[in-house]
Amino acid sequence: MKLIRSNPNTLTRFSDFDDWFRNPFAAMPSFGRFFDADAFAASEGRLAVDVHEDDEHYYARFEMPGLKKEDVKVELHDGLLSVSGEKKNKTDDGERSYTLSRSVSVPDGVRQDAIAAKLEDGILTVTLPKPEESKPKTITIS
Amino acid sequence: MNTTCCEPNTNAVAKRPAAAAEERVLKPAYSVDNSEHAYDVRVELPGVPKGGVRVDLHENVLTIRGERQVKAPDTWRPLHRELPELDFQLRLRLNAPVDEDKMTATLEDGVLTLSLPIRETAKPRRIEVQ
Repeated sequence: MKLIRSNPNTLTRFSDFDDWFRNPFAAMPSFGRFFDADAFAASEGRLAVDVHEDDEHYYARFEMPGLKKEDVKVELHDGLLSVSGEKKNKTDDGERSYTLSRSVSVPDGVRQDAIAAKLEDGILTVTLPKPEESKPKTITIS
Repeated sequence: MNTTCCEPNTNAVAKRPAAAAEERVLKPAYSVDNSEHAYDVRVELPGVPKGGVRVDLHENVLTIRGERQVKAPDTWRPLHRELPELDFQLRLRLNAPVDEDKMTATLEDGVLTLSLPIRETAKPRRIEVQ
């Protein structure tokens, strides 16, 4: 399972510095928006992710404190698992909202219909079943 | 109240790296709103279950400790790690005495919300001019 940045159309980026080099205006969304759509995405929060595997599944975990189930979106499209969450802070003087997102490329053959996601104590766990052929097989000796 | 007190052992770690290694903690994201009557503290503690939070008030220093219980099961093999596994600790020095008996704390979706009512005697008093 490889990790790539959220925009599949741009070249793979190797580091934050590299990112900054290509998008020096990323920190200023009003400028960044005109130069590169992805720079705007970069000014939004990028979720940290852990990826684990066992024999049957891949597990991707994201920190999403304070988010409700209905504010989180999980999608699998063209081998890319995309997770985004809208964070809303309501105060007396108004409401603030921003979006956190992250995309992770998943190996071919992950069964889309069997993906499960669970949000618990501010941690989102997405469970992706491995395709049959990549599971270790035990061959019985006859 | 916004003074953070006693930074999480960063100095100690620098001085005694071996001994302090187990004591390393992460300072969580937090916000404090003060009104006339109370401090409202919001602390982000992702991965901390209800039983994993300890809130102590001692000599006007509020200590919040959150123990993560999301460590991956042994059968999981890591492929890529970004999430920290350190426990959380936040220390805040309070400027006004709070009413300890009326303090409330709730943990929901990895966010701790504390309400610390300011003690009556500490509130500014208006004196009527006759």
